[in-house]
Amino acid sequence: MSRNGLRGVLALAAIWAALLLAPYWMPPLGGYTALGTRVLVLALAAMSVNFLLGFTGVLSFGHAAYFGLGAYGAGLALKFVTLSTPLSILAGTVLAGVAGGLLGALIVRRRGVYFAMVTIAFGQVFYYVAFQWSSLTGGDDGLRGFSRQPVDFGLFTVDILSNANAFYYFVLLFFALVTGVMALILRSPFGRTMLAIRENERRARFLGIAVEQHIWIAFTLSCFFIGVAGALYALTNNFADPRGLHYSQSGDFVMMAVMGGMRTFWGPLLGAAMFVVVQDYLSSVTINWMSFVGLLFVLVVLFFPRGLLGFVRHRPQV
Amino acid sequence: MTQLLLFNITNGLIIGAFYVLMALGLSLILNLSNVINFAHGGFLVIGGYVAYTITPYVGFWGALLIAPPLTAIIGFLVERILIRPLYGRDPLYSLLLTFGLAFIIEDSTRFIWSAQGKPVTIPEFLAQPLSYEFFFITGYRLFMVLMVVATVALLFGLLRYTRLGIRIRAGTLDLETVAALGINVGMLRSLNFAVGIFLAGLSGVLAAGQLGLEPTMGTGLLMPSFIAIIVGGVGSLAGTLFGGLLIGVASGVTAVFFPSASEAVMYVLMAVVLLIRPRGLFGEEGMLT
Amino acid sequence: MSILEIRNVTKRFGSLVAVRDVSLTVAQGELRAIIGPNGAGKTTFFNLISGLFPPTMGTIFFGGRDITRLPAHRRVALGIARTFQITEIFPELTVFENVRIGTEVTAGYGMRPYIGRPGTTKVRGRVEDTLKLVGLEAKADRLVGELAHGDQRAAEIAIALSLEPRLLLLDEPTAGMGDQETHQITQLVRRLHREKNCTIVLIEHDMRVVFHLADRITVLDQGMLLAEGNPEEIAANNAVQAAYLGKTA
Repeated sequence: MSRNGLRGVLALAAIWAALLLAPYWMPPLGGYTALGTRVLVLALAAMSVNFLLGFTGVLSFGHAAYFGLGAYGAGLALKFVTLSTPLSILAGTVLAGVAGGLLGALIVRRRGVYFAMVTIAFGQVFYYVAFQWSSLTGGDDGLRGFSRQPVDFGLFTVDILSNANAFYYFVLLFFALVTGVMALILRSPFGRTMLAIRENERRARFLGIAVEQHIWIAFTLSCFFIGVAGALYALTNNFADPRGLHYSQSGDFVMMAVMGGMRTFWGPLLGAAMFVVVQDYLSSVTINWMSFVGLLFVLVVLFFPRGLLGFVRHRPQV
Repeated sequence: MTQLLLFNITNGLIIGAFYVLMALGLSLILNLSNVINFAHGGFLVIGGYVAYTITPYVGFWGALLIAPPLTAIIGFLVERILIRPLYGRDPLYSLLLTFGLAFIIEDSTRFIWSAQGKPVTIPEFLAQPLSYEFFFITGYRLFMVLMVVATVALLFGLLRYTRLGIRIRAGTLDLETVAALGINVGMLRSLNFAVGIFLAGLSGVLAAGQLGLEPTMGTGLLMPSFIAIIVGGVGSLAGTLFGGLLIGVASGVTAVFFPSASEAVMYVLMAVVLLIRPRGLFGEEGMLT
Repeated sequence: MSILEIRNVTKRFGSLVAVRDVSLTVAQGELRAIIGPNGAGKTTFFNLISGLFPPTMGTIFFGGRDITRLPAHRRVALGIARTFQITEIFPELTVFENVRIGTEVTAGYGMRPYIGRPGTTKVRGRVEDTLKLVGLEAKADRLVGELAHGDQRAAEIAIALSLEPRLLLLDEPTAGMGDQETHQITQLVRRLHREKNCTIVLIEHDMRVVFHLADRITVLDQGMLLAEGNPEEIAANNAVQAAYLGKTA
């Protein structure tokens, strides 16, 4: 195995070791398992955004809408339809993915900042709906009255409701599944096509790549992925917040991806961890945490645009 | 019925005029610099609060005269220091920057002036309604519309007849050629940005008199501005003008028949336009693709 | 048998007429050069053939099929590949990766999410063959953005070749090159023409290259067809000389 290959495998092993053992190394450092769960869920969201942004080069800034759809989908499913937690995740995912597919078809012919504007505007539609349709969604108060249920495997039950560690591993399982699918896609010819579109869209078109169709597929996939994250998020707090659909949430996800390293696979995970820690710290220390978060955005953009992993690794892994 | 319809259409036009003022500023900046200014609402708020702060010293009219240019200067400085370094790069970064800026502005406003809404006094004679029949047209609302009309006229005049205006328009179409002609593109962008912010600041002063003043008022106006630009067509200021009025009136008319859907209709309009004519009603093909 | 037939094609941009009523036929296996002073509409002409935009008037036939309204990526599938005046490559990928993308699209892998091992080996083989043809096999793992200009142009030609084209459009392949690199590219094009048996149409300003390679030459001036013929006829043509007088050729 080549030098690079070995390094890659070791890094991967290190990451998974850290993730698998988190409930054990976090408390001594002042953390707690639920924090790890939250980071995992947000990291998944950031990675879903990065799937589109970092690997296809498409400027999508409205992904929080689909995150929220995943959350509300899962919450509503648990509240009205089913007692099965995995099924509720499926519900949220499908809702987000289908919405993404439909809206994606409308906007895929636009590019650049115009595309960003339209994704934001459409994202806000869902935000607005979540607020207005209060009979269904709980409006400003958010969706309550549901909670994740212990998962029954027939022979044994895993209590993800009250056992924080059990829930952490439950989330980690889904994290692994989704990131696994992401990695498979990115390593495939389709993934390389996405990269080509990012690197030089005109050239890609003149290579016979149906650019719009590819972008639509990538967009829809990223919406499915972030739908899983949203569903898990609702399950984490047993609550779905309309503010999670606002474009500022989208901005947070993008920032996580940028901070960690936008063109790397694992960058957003690191970015999410950093962002969550910094935001938690700031909000406990000052009421003007919002200014500082804004300042963080400004500083990262001006001085660290390549993000943490961007310093470490020079070029995109194909 | 007609009375109600008239009431709502007028309302719609007045709100629409407002959207127009905001959207035009946003559009100017977007067209020339390819930057979505998320902080536009923030500058509206700055305009309003600055006006509030200086009113005790210079009165309402003084504030109206001084606050917008002051806001524009702040915008100019922001552009030069923060946004300029990002021009060569992926537009994502300027997006994120203005985004962070919006946070900073909103929070700082809260910090400096407190989160409570501030009362704003307008001149007595403007606060009177025009007549019993048209009780909903107060002097102030009429004044606002007149201000918007005057400002828009001035803006189009600026763009048509002044050197700066012509350069802005040329730059929107082909910035490279403009640069090759020896024009200082950096300064052009900064001045263009300042003009856009002037419009935002003015919106803030006017809005304060109508809606009162509080730190989050800018964000509520940002989305309609976006939609006005998308509906009217990217790259076309006339389109933005039309778009703003259209969504204002549309939401006004909808308020008569489906009151709860009056905000939703904007989004529906946007979806329809994107389906039928993706470049917008007056948009040019290939502008910002 | 003509592979490319262009009938009365006009392209207008607003009030600017870039291409005016041009008709052209290219026989299969031919090596055709398109020349003309700057602003003659040559690149616009290429853009029409490759499908960047449709003509205002006229029709385009490829292999007997009307492709006038066909979008660019479908024309590629039919066998039209091109290079651009300003090199269009994937700068942050290696030479190998650049060529692989086109190879995979041609092999039909584009949309399917995941393919097993056998496909990978076949693709690798094809990429290496293409690289050998253009002489870049030694630089396969270098980032294309870091290569010298001549090698970048060769890489771009390799990308176009990976599409296994029936018609190859080369837009000023030797632009910005010194004698050594020009010679390199000229030899490459000649080799391609002979070994790959594909029809080549190239836009060129360097007359040595043109007379060295072309079977037939078409001259455009101000969007219109000025002259057409074999190299001797064109060299002797007075109108062509007049068009070039005073202009850098």
